[in-house]
Amino acid sequence: MKLSWIFGSSMEAHHLLASYLLVWLIQGGYAAWIAWQWVRTGKELQSGLSVSSEIDNDL
Amino acid sequence: MTRSRIYGTVGIAWLVLTLAAIAYGTRLALVVAPTEATMGNVQRIFYYHVPTSMLSLLFPYVNFIASICYLAWRKFDPMRALTADAVAIAAAEVTVVYSSICLLTGMLWGRAVWGIWWTWDARLTSMLLLWLLYVSYLMLRKLSATGQTNTLAAVLSVFAAIDVPIVYMSIQWWRTQHPAPVFFGGADSGIDPSMMPAFGWNVLGWAMWGVFLLLFRYGLERRRQESEQASALRAIEGTLEIAQ
Repeated sequence: MKLSWIFGSSMEAHHLLASYLLVWLIQGGYAAWIAWQWVRTGKELQSGLSVSSEIDNDL
Repeated sequence: MTRSRIYGTVGIAWLVLTLAAIAYGTRLALVVAPTEATMGNVQRIFYYHVPTSMLSLLFPYVNFIASICYLAWRKFDPMRALTADAVAIAAAEVTVVYSSICLLTGMLWGRAVWGIWWTWDARLTSMLLLWLLYVSYLMLRKLSATGQTNTLAAVLSVFAAIDVPIVYMSIQWWRTQHPAPVFFGGADSGIDPSMMPAFGWNVLGWAMWGVFLLLFRYGLERRRQESEQASALRAIEGTLEIAQ
């Protein structure tokens, strides 16, 4: 079966395409948000740990 | 090889397998599976809608079990309780993601087949309630300023889990616009065997993706907890420095 019908102008084609795109968008968006937070928290953690070890040395 | 490096390698391998399973399942759903006789091509929404709906009723139980563990451990083993809390928040977010998809794909399918976006029948309403409960759970965690936020959220999670069997059973208990159960629903239930591979691969792919998201989000929450502990430690060290 060819896939070209999915880009047609019927309501069923629009809704099917919208459903699949929506799923990828929501799942991909959530995964991207976790990845971004992961990097951000990693940076915070690294800077926090280095400050903490500096204080240890001072004490 | 360090432990975090092993986790990273396993995680990437899992992600690659997951994306391959989803890609194959999508191909089967859109290209290989036969066109359904009554609804036509729009029935192919089924291959995404049903697996995500099934999973949106499983992740709340991960949240429920983790919340029970948190409540049990918080007094005598706080470090272990924090681990359970990280699992709970990860499972709640994944539940919201999957139940949002279930509701939205259901609306798109309903508009094409029933001619309406929404109806207040028992299945749709109880599913919306489930979504609202887990959104409330996440908002409570985000916005509450009391020191008891994690405990309050864990208690809310126990109540929220009660809605899961109601959602599942709603199409058997009440006459609804939503179709009867496709699986385990009696003599007339089930799908054509030629549709099973597309359905099975999508269940597998989206379940693997859900596990990936759950573990990834859990890892993030553990890092956040570590970061908060490091900040608290710095604050204490700062206070000691001033005292000297």
